[in-house]
Amino acid sequence: MGTQVKDVVIKPEAPNTLLLDKHADYIAAYGSKKDDYEYTLSEYLRMSGIYWGLTVMDLMGQLSRMNREEIIEFIKSCQHDCGGISASTGHDPHLLYTLSAVQILSLYDSINVIDVDKVVDYVKGLQQEDGSFAGDKWGEIDTRFSFCAVATLALLGKLDVINMDKAVGFVLSCMNFDGGFGCRPGSESHAGQIYCCTGFLSITGQLHKVNADLLGWWLCERQLPSGGLNGRPEKLPDVCYSWWVLASLKIIGRIHWIDKAKLRSFILACQDEETGGFADRPGDMVSSLWNCHIQFCICIYILHVISLGLAILYTELIILCGTFLPVLYISIQVDPFHTLFGVAGLSLLGDEQIKPVNPVFCMPEDVLQRIGLQPDLLN
Amino acid sequence: MHGRVKVKSTAQQEEEKRKEREKKLKAFVSARDAVLRKRSAGEHDEEALQLTQQLLSSNPDFATLWNYRREVLLQLETSREKDEVQKLYESELHFIEACLKVNPKSYGCWHHRSWVNTRLPQPDWTRELGLCDRCLSLDERNFHCWDYRRVVVKESGVSVEQELQFTDRLIGSNFSNYSSWHYRSTLLPQLHPQPAPDSASNTSPSPTASPQIHSHRVCEEQLLKAEREEMISCVYVSRERERVSVAFSKPVHLCDLPPGSVSDISNEHNLTVHWTEKYTHRDCALYTGCAESWCRDSATDQELFRSELSVEKSSVLQAELQSCNQLLELEPQNKWCLLTIILLMRALDPLGHEKETLAHFQTLKEVDPMRSSYYSDLCSKFLIENTILKMEYAEVRVFSLSNKNLTTLCHLDQLLLVTHINLSSNQLLRLPPQFAMLQCLEVLEADDNAIESLEGLYHLPKLEEVSLRNNRILFSKQSKCFIRNPFSAFRASAWFDLVSRSQYSSLINSYRLCRIMEGQQI
Repeated sequence: MGTQVKDVVIKPEAPNTLLLDKHADYIAAYGSKKDDYEYTLSEYLRMSGIYWGLTVMDLMGQLSRMNREEIIEFIKSCQHDCGGISASTGHDPHLLYTLSAVQILSLYDSINVIDVDKVVDYVKGLQQEDGSFAGDKWGEIDTRFSFCAVATLALLGKLDVINMDKAVGFVLSCMNFDGGFGCRPGSESHAGQIYCCTGFLSITGQLHKVNADLLGWWLCERQLPSGGLNGRPEKLPDVCYSWWVLASLKIIGRIHWIDKAKLRSFILACQDEETGGFADRPGDMVSSLWNCHIQFCICIYILHVISLGLAILYTELIILCGTFLPVLYISIQVDPFHTLFGVAGLSLLGDEQIKPVNPVFCMPEDVLQRIGLQPDLLN
Repeated sequence: MHGRVKVKSTAQQEEEKRKEREKKLKAFVSARDAVLRKRSAGEHDEEALQLTQQLLSSNPDFATLWNYRREVLLQLETSREKDEVQKLYESELHFIEACLKVNPKSYGCWHHRSWVNTRLPQPDWTRELGLCDRCLSLDERNFHCWDYRRVVVKESGVSVEQELQFTDRLIGSNFSNYSSWHYRSTLLPQLHPQPAPDSASNTSPSPTASPQIHSHRVCEEQLLKAEREEMISCVYVSRERERVSVAFSKPVHLCDLPPGSVSDISNEHNLTVHWTEKYTHRDCALYTGCAESWCRDSATDQELFRSELSVEKSSVLQAELQSCNQLLELEPQNKWCLLTIILLMRALDPLGHEKETLAHFQTLKEVDPMRSSYYSDLCSKFLIENTILKMEYAEVRVFSLSNKNLTTLCHLDQLLLVTHINLSSNQLLRLPPQFAMLQCLEVLEADDNAIESLEGLYHLPKLEEVSLRNNRILFSKQSKCFIRNPFSAFRASAWFDLVSRSQYSSLINSYRLCRIMEGQQI
């Protein structure tokens, strides 16, 4: 009854050393070409994009290469009358980008360039009767927003303004049979939500409510034969889960339950040696899924060609090479999101070339020490 | 951002691609600017709907556009009759469905659909359920769709039984069915509000159908139910030490015990400890002439480490164990099988199956080496549980678990009464702060481990003999290590800096019973 495991295969030529300088160059240059397609289309999350870029640069000791003044002005222009902060100018405020903005200003030790009291009011105003938090005035409920709310308030030293008991009660009501957490009560466990909920419980001092053995097992089962981590059962590995899963394991004191060496190899394989940056999966590889698919296609095509007669076989083969070979050498696009989480994951694994990262806030530990925030972790 | 592919191609193809992207970008930017201009001008009209429709179809994560659309729809509502409003929002649902075809995983899309249903004068929940069915048939793991389905089911009053049947169908037809099993885990408790021990036969899937889920459910049943209630594990009173020690099964916030005295040797003292938050208490009587007394639940009677089994449930689990063993004969390297067998054996007879359990753990570590730390920790936990049970059966206060590959310590709240503990020849890295619960501990043997610090030894009032040879107790200029205990013979009259070996030998000589420093591997 061997079940086919969804996974990737890392080629032996994949990168196996950490190319920090290339990543720093990639991030420093990202967004400078403002007419870039991906860059423009991702404007709706720009504030988070800036947070990802700055955090990874700080972790690599390269924060000074970023344009502090420009970013601070940008953030100021994104605070709305209600106190909330938007992803970019002209966009609407949201908890997600309010947190990102507060994180950026914490990195820069410039929290007072915005109206802090109004941010606090905005966050407080999003708490619902049942303790949950909406993302904005349009009412979407998600445990991600519970995390955003307490993380924002913790960074501002204002956790006391919300109804803590109800907030905790709501998050705990999202705990599932497998020890994990989902978006809302009844939602399936997902590594991203688990990160948010364990982070939430850490900030609110309620980690003892987690079933660490059960959840730790679910989390360590995310590790696939390639060494990479997926986000839930029977999904492909992705370098961002090196963060969501790993940080969660660190928070609940079970990080030793995964194979660190294998994970490190996977993360390093996700680097792009040409452009710098990390992609979600190792590049220049043919995944086991792709492998089967392509081999199948080629077989069918060859059978078809043979049936047409050997005379045209030669020309057909040329076309075959022209169309299929590029597909064989697939590589995956890098982006700042996966770059941050690849580097942060390596930091959690103990890489000494990278600054220690805080598993709850995904910010450099020295920044949190400066603020005076040391959330509990289980041991 | 996920699953995007960079395809290497010829220079000509690169140029063509670049030109096309530039065109696309221009179109996007001009549409976006037009929309934002309109919104700044406060225009909430049909044109706004058209412009946002264009953009949202291929950029459904552009949340601000959904917000604008909602503002427009709310505005249009005010000037329309009920049946027109119905049509307005029905066509909105049509539009959302088109977006979902392009991107079935957009938070913005699904939330907007939920919102539309709150504005529809007459929502059609049957249609919505149909949408969920179709969506899940394309991707059974789409959690957005499952979450939406839960809303639809709630609003439309679909029965739990119907939904269970729905999951039955999906589970039967698709191997990647974790989402369905998860849904079942939330539905079954609605059918059986009281914990129903005999529903095991309904819930437990066959081991061949879904290996992960099977182990999960067994694991969940064991680990979750074995999660002990919050209670006062033990109350211990010592007349000579004038101490009352209270052990709780779960972490609690510190509180102050009221002052009092139990030193008077001729009197009987009756103590009651109330845990007001949990409406529970424990009594303890200290009789005349007795130096100490205690009160605790029997670990064996209370089934502290596993749930109580009715005869029916026992036989169900026994049958499960049999079929798993049969499967193991066919597939001796099947990790899910091994793990399930271990958990079933724990549930049925932890002491009786101990040897087999250890053997299976060894196989598990070979078959699934990435998770060997997990298996080691889990095995350690089970060994500790068994030792606690054996200790109780033997009615002794000695806890001995040496040379058992222990990697972690747990259930320390159950060791309050232990006077002697032997953890030698294991793989422990530390004696955690919770070690302080061993308030009656007199002798500690933990030679031949990998212990790095002595933090666990503080606050042990009766500790007299310590042996920690061949560990990894670190000493450096920075590390101050102190063992300072005014209550017992084990005294260190001064703080000492562990800077060099020569300093210990004088220490070792002066503390006859202290064999800490020998053989530390730095």
